[in-house]
Amino acid sequence: MTGATRPAANQPAAHTPGGRAARPSRVTAADLARSGAVRRGRAAAAKLWAGAVCTLLVVVPVALARVLPIPGPDEQHLDARRLPPLVDGHLFGTDQLGRDLLARVLNGGQVSLTIGLLAVVVSGIIGILAGAAAGYFGGWVDSVLSRLLEAQMSLPLLMMLLLVVALFGPSVPVITFVIAIAQWPEIARLTRSLVIVEREKPYVDAARVLGLGRVSVLVRHVLPNIVQRATLVVLLLLAQAVLLESALSYLGAGPERPFATWGRIISDGQDYVTTSWWLVTLPGLFIVLLVVGVNLIGDGLRDRSRRPKTPRTEAAA
Amino acid sequence: MVRYILRRLGQSALTVFLTVSAVFVLIRLAPGDPAASFAGPMATTEDLARVREQFGLDQPLPTQYLVFVRDMLTGNLGTSYSFQAPAFDVVIARLPYTTTLATSAILVTAFAAIPLGVWMARRADTRREAGVNVAGIAAQSMPEFWSGVMLLTVFAVLFPVLPASGFATWSGIVLPTITVALLQVALISRLVRREMGANLAAPYLVAARSRGVSERALTWRYAIPNSAIPVLTALGTRFAAMLNGVVVVEVVFAWPGVGSLVVRALETRDYPLIQATVLVTAGLAVLVQLLIDLAYPLLDPRVRIGKAVRR
Repeated sequence: MTGATRPAANQPAAHTPGGRAARPSRVTAADLARSGAVRRGRAAAAKLWAGAVCTLLVVVPVALARVLPIPGPDEQHLDARRLPPLVDGHLFGTDQLGRDLLARVLNGGQVSLTIGLLAVVVSGIIGILAGAAAGYFGGWVDSVLSRLLEAQMSLPLLMMLLLVVALFGPSVPVITFVIAIAQWPEIARLTRSLVIVEREKPYVDAARVLGLGRVSVLVRHVLPNIVQRATLVVLLLLAQAVLLESALSYLGAGPERPFATWGRIISDGQDYVTTSWWLVTLPGLFIVLLVVGVNLIGDGLRDRSRRPKTPRTEAAA
Repeated sequence: MVRYILRRLGQSALTVFLTVSAVFVLIRLAPGDPAASFAGPMATTEDLARVREQFGLDQPLPTQYLVFVRDMLTGNLGTSYSFQAPAFDVVIARLPYTTTLATSAILVTAFAAIPLGVWMARRADTRREAGVNVAGIAAQSMPEFWSGVMLLTVFAVLFPVLPASGFATWSGIVLPTITVALLQVALISRLVRREMGANLAAPYLVAARSRGVSERALTWRYAIPNSAIPVLTALGTRFAAMLNGVVVVEVVFAWPGVGSLVVRALETRDYPLIQATVLVTAGLAVLVQLLIDLAYPLLDPRVRIGKAVRR
């Protein structure tokens, strides 16, 4: 986790940053364009764009699933079983019960995405609050939280999640809760380390001297300064939440109502993989597209937010 | 040193005990009746009562718990309902399959991810490195069950060069290992790149370079040893997690390890088997974690056992 706050691996800085064109310099515009920093900036922008395109390619059709002119996800046509893609207007083909695969993937995607988003919001709130409290107050609050985090890290996570789902039923709230529980330690640890750095800064003392209570200093001054960096990680966790949900659903611990989600669609199709390749391949590619998109956005944002850090801290000093 | 190990062992035992207790309570709070799933759909009320009595399920919860703790302390984890054998033995019989798969996967990961990450750090911000970087993002975005099935389709169905499942011959382990390693290589190589990148830009390295140390020595004798600790920690943590059963991959390839056993135990509500699995795997995981922490001073003389360990 310390890696995120460490300055980027700079090339040996051979030039001053641009913007001082008036001073004569042997560094030409071409040199600047070739420099590591500019390349990194361009790569970050490319990642952001590519990520946004991939994500939207999945999210927009999923959001419009009810509006698009496709058959219902549970409409069975036993005379049109396992049609290959692009036959009879079935863009993704049909499954072993003659249901339109695209419709199943899009409707299942609504459930998967809802679970992913809710889980990330819940784990983000829990993680940021708990981590901030532990980092700011220290003492016994910190030791309790740290022990709790250690305990959870040493446990067989997927097994425990399966256990809870198997016992309390694969409903959407249970699965959302389970994924949130799986993910909050990451955010809590990051927030804790950010707050520990932040609480030593002079403005915290200033606010205390002005008579603010400890809680209001934390909530009104410290949290706003770290919440942006913490939410960046939350975005990356969205990708993991989608993957985790699909894994649970593949293992039979996913929601069945209102619609089967991606993992379940793939495990259903696995029996026919020798004859009907599309039943596994296409839903999987759909998941990969979404997760790649979210990961690229997260990566791009991280690369970009890392760059201006050095000048800003210099200006503050 | 000895005191440190003893204290850590005590803490580990406590963690495992609390975990198993939590699982004990959790599975009994949940709806569903193990007696019904054991006795089958044709069972009469008398049958159910007999089964409950046989397994002690008719007792109040606190009594059940005390009996459970007493039995656990004497090394008795109960009889698995579905296997009709001591639950502990059932778990132990599956353990070698999981450890074999975990070991081969972690070895492949280490031998692929470390050179790859070093290469990426030395070629940072070139076009080829960016390509490998994006490939890594793609690899870590694939659900393991999907990449597993895809590998199966290609190498066992379309071009039948490898067995689809099973463990009779050595080649059966190839596809599961690749499936697990694919994700881990993507994750670990990025970590290696980050650590190496930080070290390659560190002032001590610039100083060494200005003294005329060759680039090869800078990489091998300066940057790599200093990047070793976080990387080995990550590898160790992954290994510990894999010992808990590589659940998804085991199910995809019908690999008879602990992971697929868990899935089956949960489906049949086999209380003793669930408890035994959690006990064994959680115990193993905390033990591996302890060994990793004990290995730090060997890797980095600056670390002293018993003091705070850099993570």
